[in-house]
Amino acid sequence: MSQEAQPMTDPGQEKQTLKFYFTPRQALAGELDQKNPHAKDSTFQPEVVEALGERFGDTITGVTEYASEHTVFVEKSAIVDVCRHLKEEMGYTYLSEMGTIDRFTEEDRFEVYYSLVNMQTQKRLRIKVRVDEEDPVVPSVVGVFRSANWHEREAWDMMGIRFEGHPDLRRMFMPEDFEYHPARKEFPTLGIPGSLPLPPLVSDGKLTLDPFPRAHGELPED
Amino acid sequence: MTVSTIPDTAPIANTATPDESVFTFWPRHNAAIYKALEDKHIHVEVDDDPLESRMILNLGPQHPATHGVLRCVIRLDGETIESCLLDIGYLHRGVEKLAEVKTFQEFMPYTDRMDYLQPYANNVAWCLAVEKLAGIEAPERAQWIRMMLCEIARIQAHLLWIGTMVMDAGALSVFLWTFKYREEIYNIMDEVAGARFTVSHSRIGGLATDISDEGMARIQAFVDEFEGQLEDWKKLLNRNRIWVDRNLGIGVLTADDVIELGFTGPNLRASGVNHDIRNFEPYLVYDLVDFDIPMRTEGDSLARYFVRVEEMVQSNRIIRQCLEHIPHVGGPIRVDDAKSTYASKDEVYYSMEGMIHDFMMTDTGVAPPKGAESYHAIEAAKGELGFHLISDGTGSPWRVKMNSPSFCNLQGLEYLIEGEMIADTVVLIGSIDPVMGDADK
Repeated sequence: MSQEAQPMTDPGQEKQTLKFYFTPRQALAGELDQKNPHAKDSTFQPEVVEALGERFGDTITGVTEYASEHTVFVEKSAIVDVCRHLKEEMGYTYLSEMGTIDRFTEEDRFEVYYSLVNMQTQKRLRIKVRVDEEDPVVPSVVGVFRSANWHEREAWDMMGIRFEGHPDLRRMFMPEDFEYHPARKEFPTLGIPGSLPLPPLVSDGKLTLDPFPRAHGELPED
Repeated sequence: MTVSTIPDTAPIANTATPDESVFTFWPRHNAAIYKALEDKHIHVEVDDDPLESRMILNLGPQHPATHGVLRCVIRLDGETIESCLLDIGYLHRGVEKLAEVKTFQEFMPYTDRMDYLQPYANNVAWCLAVEKLAGIEAPERAQWIRMMLCEIARIQAHLLWIGTMVMDAGALSVFLWTFKYREEIYNIMDEVAGARFTVSHSRIGGLATDISDEGMARIQAFVDEFEGQLEDWKKLLNRNRIWVDRNLGIGVLTADDVIELGFTGPNLRASGVNHDIRNFEPYLVYDLVDFDIPMRTEGDSLARYFVRVEEMVQSNRIIRQCLEHIPHVGGPIRVDDAKSTYASKDEVYYSMEGMIHDFMMTDTGVAPPKGAESYHAIEAAKGELGFHLISDGTGSPWRVKMNSPSFCNLQGLEYLIEGEMIADTVVLIGSIDPVMGDADK
């Protein structure tokens, strides 16, 4: 049996007697060749991808397709220009969705994607930007799509990506006192004890502790 | 009683409120009233305001008219709203984060609780998104049943909306009538899914159980009765002087505005933008049924009312077609492949392989290919509800990003509300139809 054929072991469990073997699946057998049963015409648009490539040249760093969905990767610095071009010249006037992805342990850790809709041609296009962990700053597209405002605030709150030029980059869901960005992979699912004090029980009392220390018997001094 | 007889232990009035000594008649009582008035809605005066007509009003998060825990901080000039900020997140549970430690199927009960006015549609949205990611197609019968129940869920959501909306405008009776029909829908869901509210009936690759004859009969009875009832409500409201006056010309949005501000769903269609996911990216079997997508061009609060009421009529139409069609669609209700969905209970109880597969589905579940990334949206009652999923080749998603319609609509509300009168705030919030469970994720 060659070295490659060995099943992978979960690194954290190497010392355990009962090992848990897992095999990340590259693809379901034969699936990627078939047409996805849920593939939509609206997301498949090679012409637009080609036109963007011609217009912007090297700032388009790649194109991927899965389930007939085209994703165009754009240089971080060019995102505003690409958005403006798509909106003003190509009719993608509606920003239907925007979000962030944490590719933990990968180079260029974060991804920000924008899903734009063209109401005339009934098409949808996703463009994507990759951001480095050291400098998680992306130019804001609020100047092009006003509806990006809250989506960018959510991205800042949840993933900690700052948007340069955003008019009002406050946190979206969490209070401003909170210091972490919970959608990041290193943030524990159970939360961080003590990170979010609760209001006092009496009007001039101290801040009360959050439920974590309280569950272990630590109570405020009052 | 004179002023000097008031004991020292009496609460000292705030300097901003009149002192007790000002009053010559019932001083403590009067001072207490002014203090309570001050504390009732916290407001802050702006310095250069000689007429004292500007103030900041804090509405919510615990306010019955904000449809949940929405907090509006409004700066008023007299009765006109100068600017408005919405503060959301009071119902943030972090479901996107929780999904990362669950299998795809385990996450389904969380979707029930997101837009809690139409749990069934959320289940279907989640299942379709996962099925797209993994390349699974549910059998035809499952798709028809899903579509029918999604339309019932749309009626369910719109029923609550019309009840609370009319209640916001001052009439309580419609609320009681619509809740009678929501109760009927709970009974239908009880029969079909086994739960009245948080149904979790859909499964990745199909449905949990087939629909019973009793379930079909209940839906038929509901549709027959509801149609006439809806006509009665239209008679009550469409030309009702008070209702029309409260809504006509309030919160007007042009077609450019709604696209610019990212509105979705009925709010978009009430301003003359013909965008409906059922038409834009047909999912399930919506391309096989006959229905219209209602649209208005006025863009005011009344137009949004008309669009939603007409949507209920169209949903009824779709349900009727499903009721006719479903008995003729045979076949299974789940994919006959134990690698991509749960095996049937017969197989689980009577065969070893079935039981092994049942354990494997519960333990690991569907594993889409590594690096797969897809987005699937449905047209929920509030608008485009989509899930952006990324797989790392294991049984749980690497990242879930939910595109919730209420979040997008609330963002627009912040601008829509500015320039309107304070008395219309509640009507405007109602006409946008937010659900905080959906917006706060």
